[in-house]
Amino acid sequence: MSIDYSLEPSIIEGKPGLASIDSTIAAPMETRPNKNFYMALSVTLTMLGIGAVCLGYSFYYGMGLWGNNNPVGWGFDIVNFVFWIGIGHAGTLISAILFLFRQKWRTGISRFAEGMTIFAVMTAGIFPLIHVGRPWLDGYLMPYPNQHGLWVNFTSPLVWDVFAVSTYFIVSAIFWYIGLIPDLATLRDRTVDKIRKTIYSIFSLGWRHSNRHWHHYEMSYIILAGFATPLVLSVHTIVSFDFAVSILPGWHSTIFPPYFVAGAVFSGFAMVQNALIFVRKIFNYEHIITLDTLEKMNKIMIATGSMVGYAYAMEFFIAWYSGSPLETFVFVNRAFGDYAWAYWIMVSCNVIFPQLFWFKKIRRSIPLMFVVGVFVNIGMWFERFVIVVTSLSRDFLPSSWAYYKPTLYDIGILIGSFGLFFSLLLIFTRTLPVVSIAEVKAVSDGAQPTHHAGGSHAE
Amino acid sequence: MQNKVLYSVTGIFQTPDSIKHAAKSIADAGYKRYDINTPYPVHGIPKAMGMTISKLGYFTLVFGLSGIALALGFTWIITNIIYPLVQGGKPFFALPPFIPITFEVTVLLSSCGTVIIMLLLYFKFPNNSHPLHDTNYMKKVSSDKYGAYIMADDPNFDQSKVRSLLESLGAIDIEDIYYDEETVSLRPKVFEPKFLGFLLVAILITAGATYFTLNKLLFMPPFDWMSFQSRVNAQSLSTFFPDKHGMRMPPSGTIARGFMPFPYEGDPDKAGKMLVNPMTNTQENIEQGRKQYDIFCSPCHDWHGTGNSRLRGQFPNPPSLHSQKVRNWSDGMIYYIITMGQNTMPSYAYQVSREDRWAIILYVRTLQRAMNAKPEDIK
Amino acid sequence: MSTQEFQVNYEKKGLPSTWLRNGLIFLVLGIGLSAAAYFIEPQRALINGVVAYMFVFGCGIASLFLIALEYIVGAVWSVPFRRISEFLAALLFIAPVLALPAFFNFHQVFHWSAPEAASDAILKAKAPYLNVSFFVIRFIGIFIISWLFYFFIIRNSRKQDVSREQFLTKRNITLSGAFIPVFAILISIMSLDWLMSLEPHWFSTIFCVYYFAGSLLAAIAALTFIVVSLNERGYLIKGLTEDHYYSLGGLMFAFTNFWAYIAFSQFLLIWYANLPEENFWFINRMNDTWSYISVGLIVLKFVMPYALLASQPSKMNPGRLKLAAFWILGAQYYDLFWLAIPNYYKTGPALHWTDFGFPLLAIGVIMTVFCIVARGKNLVPIGDPKLKRSMDFHL
Repeated sequence: MSIDYSLEPSIIEGKPGLASIDSTIAAPMETRPNKNFYMALSVTLTMLGIGAVCLGYSFYYGMGLWGNNNPVGWGFDIVNFVFWIGIGHAGTLISAILFLFRQKWRTGISRFAEGMTIFAVMTAGIFPLIHVGRPWLDGYLMPYPNQHGLWVNFTSPLVWDVFAVSTYFIVSAIFWYIGLIPDLATLRDRTVDKIRKTIYSIFSLGWRHSNRHWHHYEMSYIILAGFATPLVLSVHTIVSFDFAVSILPGWHSTIFPPYFVAGAVFSGFAMVQNALIFVRKIFNYEHIITLDTLEKMNKIMIATGSMVGYAYAMEFFIAWYSGSPLETFVFVNRAFGDYAWAYWIMVSCNVIFPQLFWFKKIRRSIPLMFVVGVFVNIGMWFERFVIVVTSLSRDFLPSSWAYYKPTLYDIGILIGSFGLFFSLLLIFTRTLPVVSIAEVKAVSDGAQPTHHAGGSHAE
Repeated sequence: MQNKVLYSVTGIFQTPDSIKHAAKSIADAGYKRYDINTPYPVHGIPKAMGMTISKLGYFTLVFGLSGIALALGFTWIITNIIYPLVQGGKPFFALPPFIPITFEVTVLLSSCGTVIIMLLLYFKFPNNSHPLHDTNYMKKVSSDKYGAYIMADDPNFDQSKVRSLLESLGAIDIEDIYYDEETVSLRPKVFEPKFLGFLLVAILITAGATYFTLNKLLFMPPFDWMSFQSRVNAQSLSTFFPDKHGMRMPPSGTIARGFMPFPYEGDPDKAGKMLVNPMTNTQENIEQGRKQYDIFCSPCHDWHGTGNSRLRGQFPNPPSLHSQKVRNWSDGMIYYIITMGQNTMPSYAYQVSREDRWAIILYVRTLQRAMNAKPEDIK
Repeated sequence: MSTQEFQVNYEKKGLPSTWLRNGLIFLVLGIGLSAAAYFIEPQRALINGVVAYMFVFGCGIASLFLIALEYIVGAVWSVPFRRISEFLAALLFIAPVLALPAFFNFHQVFHWSAPEAASDAILKAKAPYLNVSFFVIRFIGIFIISWLFYFFIIRNSRKQDVSREQFLTKRNITLSGAFIPVFAILISIMSLDWLMSLEPHWFSTIFCVYYFAGSLLAAIAALTFIVVSLNERGYLIKGLTEDHYYSLGGLMFAFTNFWAYIAFSQFLLIWYANLPEENFWFINRMNDTWSYISVGLIVLKFVMPYALLASQPSKMNPGRLKLAAFWILGAQYYDLFWLAIPNYYKTGPALHWTDFGFPLLAIGVIMTVFCIVARGKNLVPIGDPKLKRSMDFHL
């Protein structure tokens, strides 16, 4: 098959009418979910329940139930935190960075990915809060004039995390909501149900699709995207600072910030791709979330995966090049020490498997890309595991070296985090348009004025 | 229709090209109070309507700069003045570690500020009682049609002229929109007393909730120098252990620190044979023995061991320590008697430490020798 | 609409004659001043030569990277400008000449190769990588590989001017896919060898990304400057819109931020951990007058371009774009100077009059090479199938 490069590729396949786009996207909200939905929801809610029970026990008996112990004081909790924050990054990348790069194919997936961002950040936010050990005292993370006259340590990256994650959550939510306003207005004008209409009216704030509004709306979208882009970089950068400002070999590495960001986008894209494969199938969005879109996501995965691979290689090389025996030891220990199994899972899942996407056949095969996507997420989870655990378990004092083993409670909480994330996602697919109606309309064929008639050429 | 007022004349267009053309033509015809409604932003319409680049960015700039100032000022005041604390050998306030927080606060303020300004000032939202709501026109432009309307309060407005203009531009479904002055108001809703009242209540609730959270929910007693501790006191009841004892029973065979077993109970002869005074006959040790003897032994045995003590008459006099029998006893035997007691003499094991007992024996030997001195001792 | 119906509104013209003349003037001035510098301050001149070399090499290979990026991401708006980047990529052929003086005075530039280094335990451990023969092999390898990619990609692109065949685009996409990972390795090795190893005890994992960010910024700035200047005088295809300018400005703005992000990450992590094996590199740059140069770097390379390009209209304003592009090119040179010189001159005045000949030399080389390579060629890839779409491009 040869591509004609002189033609603008269609973003939306099959030239659907604008009204049919409305009804396709609004369908999940206007029909009752079927049995499969409730089955899926009950599975995810069970997982959430397992997590809640484990968490309840942990609160009651204390953190001794977890595998964290000297010298590995950061275990599954921090691994999960970094993992979930990373999942969130794809959404902002799609909605902000690709928006600034005018990648029109993002329109079909941006809303869903933004939703995933918000849910992933919510899930991630739980972990630092429970990891402090006494979660009822979390309020002290906020710098406010308290009765002790105590203030947080502003030079600590853990405090930066509080600022970064909460800012990220708020700005993502605003971004999401701003995108939803026109769609909610469209739904408001479609629905005949009184209660729904009231709800949609309240949340669409009275949007009238006025071009005097669209004008500022588009500007605000550019401004928000302009802020969200450095913001998304900053969030995982600050997460990487949690590790990198320390002097622990294996943590203190200057490439950490961009490397963490690339890894976050990598795993986030894998998760979005996995979820979209189901969404497009179940809701018949195959012409909106096209195979081309998925292929482009796979291309981004191979790019970010290779960046991560570059960072692994660079870290390894510089560990040797630095001439520091500590650095060298840590990296040799990672690859050949007690946790070598985790390291090689990480390398094979993150660097080797995504290379399959160099082949167009695999890039465009739904089952294969799904499998690779799952591998990528496993690999990225293990990447955080390797970083957190291997460095800590072999710290400066050989007498305290220990092998970190998670307990059942750790695993239960991890399962619970998946349960929370997917429960929210499932509810989202049934309550809000998972595809941006206005944006999809704007990029469908024939939706924009023809250029020559308008004579838009300047100079 | 008597109390209804004309709001605007609307027309529906079928294609993006026609709406773009219509926008340009309406603007060229000199209308000011008109608008174009499209279900999504159509390229070129703002230009056709003669709108310049949105000024929203200036608000963002203001919010952004105030975010920078706020974050830097806040962290500077706290780390330099209110709570100066050396962290990791760094200066109280050095720029690099404060950049991340400054950046986050800047982004937060400018994003929120921009959106709020846009929604409240530019759009005058929330506004759910606009004349256009719930009209057929709105339902169409919300889905797949493009609409243009010219408002009745435009200085050039003339209902028939407007209708013919829209018709000539190719509009279909030309419709007049009326509104009820009593129920629908065109004034911005943001400054209505009801809304302001709502805002006030919201502010009060937020403030109250914050106060409650910070001062009641998160209240921790101020530092009490550890007067109250969650430890278990000795001999007290504990609900934690199944046997309810606050203190733990030592496992059998446990030997206390410094404890020496005394396996001679009831067998003074063996004790006399086996036990040897570990203390040497020095001035210091004898002095220690004298003190202990004077405290514990002298009430009955007298200052010099004669048995004729200050308690005579109240207690049976003990025999003299200077008898040949006692003098012939080994140190171990005397130790046994102090430890276990003899006849009316009780055990002194709890009053006199082991070391002191041996010291007392040294002193008794000294007394014995002094009372039965031989000529050669005088040297 | 097929390609045949689309009329390319481009009239082939030779470059403005003043360009080559000015380029040669810069070149001669640069050669003269730098030759004088070699006699007056030989050591300093050698390092300045390395700076000029890395500047030109970075511009060249990042231009090739831009071309590959356009192919691989299927960018449309940048098609009319691709030819300019292709001419700039030809700098890869002149760059080794600029590196020659360093090779002839190897020990003076690369202290790890000096005989005294044999007694240094750290350098001894690094010897399997930092040794002269492997260094030369890497140097030659990098150029041969990049020349090969240059040759194939540019040949396909030029062929298309006449043949207009689509398969050439497809072939270049494949080549670009192969080039980008290779590029990452090449530029990493080059920056490690020629900049990081100037201070052979120092190490930083992000350093190669830092050099990449700066070089890409320089390549975009050079492209923007040339495109805006040529388009103002009508040398390029007719019908370029503000949106094309906006995209160029946006890219410069984005990579200015990216550079700042990378630079800040590197600085913060080293400053914060304060480990003696790495912090001395920054301490050298905070000593004496170097502290002013360091603060100047923040202002010149981040604050000023940021202020110049932040607003939306400024990204479409030709004058502003030219100013920003020129500024960024200067800042990139300044940055490389800041990376290299303090390793040798830790105290004393940071600037010396002999330093100023080398930027002139670099600019002269770029202008001259550009004019010579571009002579008699189309300044726009008129046969590219995406050209029509590019002219229809709007944000």
